[in-house]
Amino acid sequence: MQSAVDAKNLVKKFDDLVAVNDISFNIQTGETFAILGENGAGKSTTIRMIACRSPLTSGKLFVGDFDTKKEEVKIRSILGIVPQENNLDPDLNVRENLLVYARYFRIDKNTAEKRSDKLLDFVGLSKKLGSKVESLSGGMKRRLIIARALLHKPRILLLDEPTTGLDPSVRQEIWEKLEELRQTENLTIILSTHYMDEAEKLSQRLFVMANGKIITRGKPQEIIRKRVKNYALEVRGIRNNPLVVTSTNITSHKRGNTHLYFAEEIEQLTPLMNSYDNTQMILRPSNLEDVFLIYVNSD
Amino acid sequence: MYLALAKVDITDAISVWSRNMRVYLRLWKTELIAPIIEPIFTFFAFGFGVGALISSRVEGLSYLSFIGAGILAFTVLMRTVFELTYGAYFRMVYQSTYNAILSTPVNAESLAFGEILYAATKGLIDALFVIPLVIIFGSSTSYLAPLSIFPLLLGCLFLGSLSLAITAHIREIDHFNLYFALYWSTIFLCGAWFPVNKLFDWLQVIAYILPTTSAIDLTRAFLNGGFEQRHIFEAIYLIIISILLTEWALRSIRKRMVV
Ligand SMILES: Nc1ncnc2c1ncn2[C@@H]1O[C@H](COP(=O)(O)OP(=O)(O)O)[C@@H](O)[C@H]1O
Ligand SMILES: [Mg+2]
Repeated sequence: MQSAVDAKNLVKKFDDLVAVNDISFNIQTGETFAILGENGAGKSTTIRMIACRSPLTSGKLFVGDFDTKKEEVKIRSILGIVPQENNLDPDLNVRENLLVYARYFRIDKNTAEKRSDKLLDFVGLSKKLGSKVESLSGGMKRRLIIARALLHKPRILLLDEPTTGLDPSVRQEIWEKLEELRQTENLTIILSTHYMDEAEKLSQRLFVMANGKIITRGKPQEIIRKRVKNYALEVRGIRNNPLVVTSTNITSHKRGNTHLYFAEEIEQLTPLMNSYDNTQMILRPSNLEDVFLIYVNSD
Repeated sequence: MYLALAKVDITDAISVWSRNMRVYLRLWKTELIAPIIEPIFTFFAFGFGVGALISSRVEGLSYLSFIGAGILAFTVLMRTVFELTYGAYFRMVYQSTYNAILSTPVNAESLAFGEILYAATKGLIDALFVIPLVIIFGSSTSYLAPLSIFPLLLGCLFLGSLSLAITAHIREIDHFNLYFALYWSTIFLCGAWFPVNKLFDWLQVIAYILPTTSAIDLTRAFLNGGFEQRHIFEAIYLIIISILLTEWALRSIRKRMVV
C-alpha cells in the first residue's frame, strides 16, 4: 500500500452550497500532511468524508485500499480521529473514557488497560486517571482525545484543527506530542488547520483550500519559494498612508493596518524602512502566512 | 433499497449498550428507587382512592386488579420514552457522544440499536421492581405475572424506536413538547386506566390502532390470566410494528449523523 488517502474529483454539496468543489489529492503512507484553510474553506467536510461520516456527492475516495463508499467499518478501524470539537464522554472519568472507547474497537479488557495507562503516560495525564473530564483544562482534554485516538494503533491519525482555541504554550505541547508521533513508523498524520505556523512546522506536504477548492499545494518551503519572494518587511499600525512606491523587484500589499513588502534580498527592503517612522516594523523571512494572505485576498 | 437492520452488528450494539449501562449503574441508587415511588402512589390514588368508588367489576376484575397492568406498563414505557427522547438528545447533541462513537468502527445502525436495547433494558429493570409491587398490592392474580416482561419488552421496542426516530428528526429540544402532548393523550386511550370498550366507537378504533393498547392488554393477560384469541393478534401486531419502527429509527439516526 502506497497511498494512505487517494481522492479524485471529490465534491460535497449541502443543498445548493458547494462545501467541497472538485478536489483531487493523494496522501502518502507515513507522511504528515496538512490541509490549510480559513473557516468555512471545507476542511472539516473533507476530513469527515475521509472518516466516512459524510457521503460524497460525487468523486472517488479511497483510504488505504478501501473505498469510502463501501468499507466504512474497515476504514474507521485504521483511522484515529481527533475531531474539531471536544467529544470526550462527560459521564465517564479520564481512564474510563479510554476503556469504554477501546471496546468499540473490540480491544480486550487487559490490552485496553495496558494501552490506556501507557497512553495516559505519553500525554502526561497519568495523575488524572480518576478525574472527571470537565475538570480538565482545554489542553488536557485535547491530549486525552489524542490518546483516545491512538488506542487501537491506527495507521492514519486524522486531526481536525488540533490546536484551535488553545493557549500558545498548550499548542506547543500538542505540537511536541505530534512531533513525537511523527517518528512512529508508518503512521500517516493528516491534520487540518487555519494556522500557517502549524502547517509549516508539522507538515511535509500540504494543500491550501479556499471556498471548497485547492488553491495551491506542495511542500511548505517550496510553496513559499514559488509564491512569494524570500523576505518580507511588515509594517504595522498604518492608518491611511498609501503604500510606498517601489522598484519592480519589490512587491507590496496592503492588508488592514499593515503594509507588506516582499523582495528576494534583504538589502532591497532595508531602504524602505526609512519611509516610515514611529511604527512597528518587522523584517523577516517570508512564511506560509504570506502566501495564504496574498492568495486568499487576491480574488 | 437497503435494510438498515441488516447493518446492525450485535457486538457493536452491545458495546454501546454497555457504555450506557456503566453510566446507569453508577447512579443506581437514585435510578432504581425512582421507579418505585411513583407506582406506589398511583396504587394508593387510583387503586384504593378511585377504586373505592368503583364497586362493579371491570372486565371481570376488581378495579385494583385491572389497574395493575396500567401502572406497570405506564412506568416501564415512560422510562423508555424518556431515555430515547431527552436522554438520547443529550447524548446526540449536547455531549457529542454519538459523534465520538461514530469515529470508531461502530456504524450508525449499531449505535441506534444499542441505544434502543439500553432503553428497553432500563424499562425492564423498572419492571423487575414494579411487578413485585403489583403482586404485593394484590393487583396480580396469576403466577404468569413475571412473564409480562415479554409484552413489555415489545412495548419498549416499539415506543423506544419511535422515540429515537423522533429525536433524530427534531432540531430543538423544545420540539419534544408536541411529541409528549401526543404521547400523554394517547396513553389515556390505551386501556391503562379503563377498558377501551368504554370509549366511543371511533375512539375505540384509534385505540386499537395504537400499539400501546396491545402492549397493555397483553400485560394484563399475563398479570391476571384469561388469554383470548385477540391476544395472539395483538402480539403479532406488536412484533411487526416494532420491527418497522426499529428500521425507521436506524435509518433516521444514519440520516441525522452521516451527512
Ligand atoms: N452539515 C452541514 N450542512 C450544511 N452546510 C454545511 C454542513 N457542514 C458544513 N457546511 C458548510 O460547508 C462549508 C464548509 O464547512 P467546513 O468543512 O466545516 O469548513 P472548515 O472546516 O474549513 O471551517 C461551510 O460553508 C459550512 O457552512
Ligand atoms: Mg472545520
